[in-house]
Order: sequence, then C-alpha cells, then structure tokens
Amino acid sequence: MKKTHIVAIIAIAVAIAAMLSTLSDSSTYADFEEAFESPDAEYHVVGKLNKEKPSEYKPEVDPNLFTFYMVDNNGEEKKVILHKSKPQDFERSEQIVLIGKAQGDDFHARDILMKCPSKYNDGSESDFRTEDEMRELRTREQAEA
Amino acid sequence: MEYIGENIWAGQLGHAFVIIGFGTALLSSVLYFLGINKSESSWRSLARGAFWIHALAMFGIVGTLFTMLAGHMFEYHYIWQHSNSELPVKYIFSAFWEGQEGSTILWLFWQAVLGLILMYSAKKYEFSVMGFFAMAQVFLLTMILGVYFGDFHIGSSPFTILLREHPDFAMMPFIQSPNYLDTLDGRGLNPLLQNYWMTIHPPTLFLGFASTLVPFVYALAGLLEKDYRGWFKPALPWTFFSIMILGTGILMGGAWAYESLSFGGFWAWDPVENASLVPWLTLVGGGHLLLIQRNKGTSLFSTYFLILITYILILYSTFLTKSGILGDSSVHAFTDLGLSGQLVFIFGTYAVLGLGMLVWRYRDMPKSKTEDKLWTREFWMFVAALVLLLSAFQITFSTSIPVWNAIFGTEMAPPADPNAHYNGYQLPFAVIIGLIVGFTQWLNYKKTDFKTFFSQTLRGLIASLVLTIVIGLVISFDQPLLLLMLFTSLYAVIGNADYLLFAIKRKADVGPSIAHIGFGMVLLGALISQGGAETISQNSSRYDLTVLDDGYKNNENILLMLEDTLRMGDYNVTYTGKDQEDIYVYYNVAYLDSNNQELFTLRPFVQLNNRMGNVAEPSTKHYWNKDVFTFIKYAELEDRAEDEDPFKEAEDYNLKIGDTLYANNAIIILDSIRGVTDSTYKAEFGLAPNDLLVKGFVRLYDFDTQLHTLNPHFAAVGTRIQTFGVENKKAGLKMEMVKIDPSTETIGLRIAEYKYKTNEFIIMQAMVFPHINILWLGAILMIIGSVWAIYTRIQRQRETS
Repeated sequence: MKKTHIVAIIAIAVAIAAMLSTLSDSSTYADFEEAFESPDAEYHVVGKLNKEKPSEYKPEVDPNLFTFYMVDNNGEEKKVILHKSKPQDFERSEQIVLIGKAQGDDFHARDILMKCPSKYNDGSESDFRTEDEMRELRTREQAEA
Repeated sequence: MEYIGENIWAGQLGHAFVIIGFGTALLSSVLYFLGINKSESSWRSLARGAFWIHALAMFGIVGTLFTMLAGHMFEYHYIWQHSNSELPVKYIFSAFWEGQEGSTILWLFWQAVLGLILMYSAKKYEFSVMGFFAMAQVFLLTMILGVYFGDFHIGSSPFTILLREHPDFAMMPFIQSPNYLDTLDGRGLNPLLQNYWMTIHPPTLFLGFASTLVPFVYALAGLLEKDYRGWFKPALPWTFFSIMILGTGILMGGAWAYESLSFGGFWAWDPVENASLVPWLTLVGGGHLLLIQRNKGTSLFSTYFLILITYILILYSTFLTKSGILGDSSVHAFTDLGLSGQLVFIFGTYAVLGLGMLVWRYRDMPKSKTEDKLWTREFWMFVAALVLLLSAFQITFSTSIPVWNAIFGTEMAPPADPNAHYNGYQLPFAVIIGLIVGFTQWLNYKKTDFKTFFSQTLRGLIASLVLTIVIGLVISFDQPLLLLMLFTSLYAVIGNADYLLFAIKRKADVGPSIAHIGFGMVLLGALISQGGAETISQNSSRYDLTVLDDGYKNNENILLMLEDTLRMGDYNVTYTGKDQEDIYVYYNVAYLDSNNQELFTLRPFVQLNNRMGNVAEPSTKHYWNKDVFTFIKYAELEDRAEDEDPFKEAEDYNLKIGDTLYANNAIIILDSIRGVTDSTYKAEFGLAPNDLLVKGFVRLYDFDTQLHTLNPHFAAVGTRIQTFGVENKKAGLKMEMVKIDPSTETIGLRIAEYKYKTNEFIIMQAMVFPHINILWLGAILMIIGSVWAIYTRIQRQRETS
C-alpha cells in the first residue's frame, strides 16, 4: 500500500469522525414542553415575545439579567431569564430563538437570536414625500451638481 | 394610462444587453466547441467575435444600471429598493451591488474581463478553455435573464421589473396617478452598507470568485482533450492570482466586520464568511498540487479534484447566500427571490459536469508506478492539501446544517456558539498546516538528504520552541493545544524567514517565502489576538448564578452612569455623555490612567436604522501592540426631553445640624451653617455688604459612597429672602436652603429629585485584542509575496517560451 493511500484513509477517517461528532453535538430546535421535560439538556426554543406582559431590566442591579415572557410555537408561555444585557430593539423582534435550558418554572437563556421585521424584507413600506419635499430635494441636488 | 417622466428606454436598453450577452455567450461557447481540432481559423475568429460582443454587452449592462442609479429612476423596482435621492454619489457603487441582481452583474462583469484576457493568452487551449468559459457566462446570465413563462420565471432582471408592475405595488392608490414619480423616493441603501469597506470588499471578492473559473475551465479542457498535464503551466499564475485576490477579499470582509460590526472580532464564522473561505482553502490546496505536479506523477486525481471542487464550492456558496436557505442563521444573506430551484440547478449541473468528467477520464489518466519518498516536498505538500480539504469539509458540513434540515427534514440547530464550535475543530488542522508550512520549503523534490534537512530545520524549530515558551508565559496560555498552535505558527514564520535568507543567498525566488511568512503571521496574529483577547468590562453580578452552568455566568458587560468613573481592566473609564450627528448617536467614553489623567476617548455609536433595526458599531483605540475595542450593548437612544422639567416636585424637610436624610440616590447630612462676613464673597451673589448671607455645609454621599460637599446659600435683603440652590447631577437632586429658624434651631431644606430613578447610563462591552497587527501585517505580506511569485513565474515562462 502506498503512503499516499494511508494518508488518504486517515483523512477519510477524520472526516467521518468530524461529521459524526458534529451531528451528536448539535442541539435541536424544540418547544417549551420538550425543554421542560429534560431540564439538563440545552435547547433552541423558537417563539414570540409576549408584549402584554412586562419585561424587566434593571441594569443598575445587574446589567446581565433580563426577564420577559415568551410564547413558543405551540402557544405555551414561560418566563424567560436571559443572562445577558437586554438586546437593543428587543421590542421590535418578530421572532425569538432562545438558547438555554429549563430550570424550575423558568427558562434560563444563555443566548438569544432575534429576527426583526424589516430585516432585508422587501415589503411595501415606502418613503413617500410630498411634492414640495421632492422639489426641494431636486433643487438642492441641482445646486450641488 | 400614460405615465409621466418614466425612462422606459433605460430598462429596454439594459434588457437588450442581457439578451444580446446571453445569445452571444451561448454562440461563442458553441463555436469554440465546434472548432476544437478543426484546422480552419474561421472558427476562432467567429467565436472570438461573439465573445467580444458578449463582453461589450456586459459592460453595457453595468453602464446602464449605473445610469439608472445615478439618474434616480425609481420607476424601476431595483433602483427604488436600493437607493434614494439623498444617497451620496460615493455609495452608488454600494447600492449597485447591494441586491442579488447587482452582485451577479458584478460577477458577470469580472468574468467578462478575465475572459477577454484568457482568450488571448490561452493559445493552443483556447478552444476548449473558452468553450467552457463562455458556457459559465451563459449559466450565470440566466440568473438575471428575467424571462417569464406564466408563473414560472428564469432569473430576476433589474431592468424589467417596474415598480408599478411589482405585485406589492400594483394595487396601491398612488400608482394610479400618471405623475406618481413626482412624489416617489427610493427606499434607500441599507445604512449598514454605507461604509467604505462596502465599496471595495464586494468587487474584490467577486473578482476572486470570477478568477476561480479560470483554473476550473483549464482542468475541464485538460480532461476533455486528454491532455492531462499540459495546462498546469499556463493555469499556475491564474490559480495563484485567484488565491491572492480571493484571500484579500475575504480578509477585507474581516476588516469590515472588525471595524464596523459588533461581533467582537474580525471573524465570526458566519455562514457567508465560511462560504467564501471554503473555496479558498481548496484552491490553496489545488494550487500547491499544481506546483508539484510537474515533478511528480501521483495524486493527479487529487489535483483535478481540488481545482474542480473549488468552482463547484463557489457555486454552492452562491446557492447558500442567495437562496434564503440560511434564513436566520446569517447576518448578511440575501432575500429569497424565488430562484432557489435555478440556483440548485446551476450548482448541480456544474457538480455533475466537473466531477462526472473526472470520473469519466479517471481510467485513462496516467498513473505513477513509483512511490513518493517520505522526505520529499511533494509528499508533504500532498499531505497539507489533504488537511486543507479536511478543514474545508468540516466547515462546509457544519455550515450546511440548514441544508441538511431541508433535505432530511431534521430540526438540527446550527452551533449555538460558532466560535467555540469552529475554532475547536479547526485548531488541530491549523497546527498541522503551520508545521508543514514551516519545514516543507527545506525539502527537495524527489529526494532529500535527511541529515542536511534535519540540520537546516533544527535551528528554526529550537528558536520557535524558545519563543513559544517565552510568549506562552507572557500571555499566559495554558491550554496545550493553543500552545501547540503557538509553536507551529511561530515555526511557520521562523522556518520561512530562515528559508528566505537561504533563497536570497542562492538568488532563488523569494515570493513564496514572503507569502508563507505572511500566512504564518496570519495564523499567529489570529491565535494571539483571539486566544489572548480579554474582556475587560466585567460587572460583578449581585445574583448568585452558581446553580447554573458556567456558560450562564455572564460577566462581560459594564454599566456606566453618566459622569461616573469606574475601574475597568488597566483603565478608569468615564461615560461623559452622548451626542447625535444625523443617524448616529455617539457615546463618549473617556479612558483614564490610574491617576485619572485622560489617555484617550472612544466613541462607540449606535446607528439609528429603521429598516434593519438599530445597529451598535464599535470604536477602537489602536496601539502598536494591542487594540482596545469598545461597543455599546444597551443605551438610551433618545435625549431625555430637555424642555421638560427634569425634577419631581420638591419636598421640604426641617433638619437640625447633624441630621441625616435618605434620598433615592444619596445620603444627605447637614453639617453646619455659617454667616458670611466677607463683602467680596457677598458681592459674587450680587449682595450689598450689609445684607445677610448664610452658607450651608451639606455632606452628600452618592450611591458609590463618594463624598460631595454642597453649599446652598441663604440671603436676606431687608425683609426679602433670597435662596441660592445647588444641583448635583450624580446624586440626581437639587437643594435649596429655604428657612432658618433660630428659635427651634431648624433649617429648612427643599430637595427636588430627578424624575428618573437612575441617571443616564450605558451598558458597554470592552475587549483588548493583543497584537492584532501581526494579522494585518501578515495579510499584507501574503499579498506582496503572492504578487512577487506570480510575477516571477510569468517572467520565467516568457523567457522559456
């Protein structure tokens, strides 16, 4: 057997090992029910912020603690304790992905991903200006040119 | 209805260029293929003519789209979507390639330019090489063809979609007016992209993408014509040009992320970054295998595989970023234009074509009977290429998790902490690569005397070992794997620096050594700046989080009250206030030394961005040996209403001397009052010498238990009483001495507190990246070394031919 063949076989073995360990490492998307069934495992839970209920952020006490209520895709609501600062623009979020685990009655999140409504969304919210504004803009532009 | 002011001609012109470009690329490709092995030169001139017209049409497309953007032709959906009438001229480029269609046009443009050069330099390979090249243009052009068959459409053209015909707008009332253009302004360029890096990073990256096509078509031509090795020589400079440009484009993306995104670093393993890094890795492997092929018989298959897979991976990355499949997992993927099927088709066609031809010709390929010796350059370069392929495979596999989910219906989540995930897997690969890069230049092709090799490399190894121990102690690395990588990346630099001197002595080409030193420095700089990065903004939490894992003990943010000074790392920091310029709110943070002398001020800012959500952008102080990197995690964006009275209703307290009062943010102790006799002092208050003036001495401790002394004054001018109050921002209150009652020995203090319970504050994260300049310097050396090596090689080829 050639040396290059040995090297190639080792390479394939490493590739398969990397693949399998990535698959076994990766956590899955889940809902609250699943996450609260096994409190020791880490989950990604997808849901929406409950804007009716208060969210609480007291940076003067702890800037790395933020609590709010989230409703998962099955409609189940849980109190969420995020161990991070309150994300800027939090209220605007359309969808939330929490990364964390259940503990007691609360869900403790280590990290949060947010999807904001207009991010790269080519929806029809447009900027309309009055004719006067446009005239002003055009004259300014001509003056600059 | 007749619409007023529309420039229908522009879209028709652009669309005509697209159709002409498509037809001529197809024609050129067919003519070239038909002309293979024909003796008449008419095939060549016809095919060249067709490609020329195609290239001119591509330039025409670019020119038309620019004209439309510069002319604010918002009647076109693409123009409306990506620009507005206030867009500064310098960002027209960014607006051009902000959308999918524009970036495809940029890519087509570069491929047309490279095609023209290739056409005249490919010589005897021109027919098959250009046949495949023009075919690639045909496929890419389908992405912007904009041809409809009922509901089914091929490509999306920026020239054919009028705003008033777009499904989102067609029913809107304003469109019903013939002069709707008078009141219409574009939506504007995403402010995140209004950055100078965004004007140079995409063109460089797309030139890199385009240039990977050249080695790919050479490899296909070699397979088609059964000329398995002849194309190595002409393809070599192209391959290394591509490695250099693509590498530069990727690093520019890193520089942009470092400078204007709050990732906390220059590399975040974002799927889009990964998608462009992976083909670079395979191309580096393939390029080096091309180098050894001239001296070696084996691994011909691997060479073809790496070169072919590179372009296939470029198409795969296009599929990932443009199909919308990455969805939420990436910050900068494009929107889905409903072209996923088409993207899969193009990627699939090329994967089948490239790998299919390789399998088809495999039996026919010459195979070497001899075996490589262990201590030869070719053996270790082969090993390194395999390691690069493995590294590329791991990154692709993890990045493709959304794709696996789509195919297998699974619900796997992408790695929660991409940095930990990818760094963990990639570190061993980097260790091996660093080592091989360090010693392989010392090996000869075919046969090396091991003793000579050993003595030549030994000094570099010893020097690296000593430096590893010294540096490891200084920056206190304790993980064995990090130390190992420190050693091999140092060795990649030192081994090649040593070889550089050796090469200068022998008057050999120095380009490769310089490029490899640069590569070693990129590894070293990435390792030290990321591995040694320190988050200096640490806040001690009052909650006990020990019930949770270590991952939840979040301690990375600091809370700074206005005008308050806190210790942070080696600095004292003060938040001195914010100011707003246009859509940017700057937060001024002064860094002081331990004697509270100001060293520098950083101004991290938040970009108010209605479309994308507000974006925090960092501010960095660059020293030669470290960067102090600061960004805002949370802050109040609006000014607290200035005109409104910031104080709550005042309350009166009757105190005796020595009494203590507890306010929301402070403890107040009335120390004493004294009558003032000094008439000049009285004059400062506008009082006559015989007026009565009493000075109060009030001790105040703020929430940091810092002591302030306040002096409210009380005056009596005849029977009229006048008070001179004092305000303390930090304690958030103002006080007046309103009454002095000698009979009861009480003093009336009127205290009004701020309405806001807390002062204005920011929450900030600050990190120190040590020696990140090694990385940037290494990147520059890589570019210089590659250019040098390519130039030398082209010169040598000219001399020999």
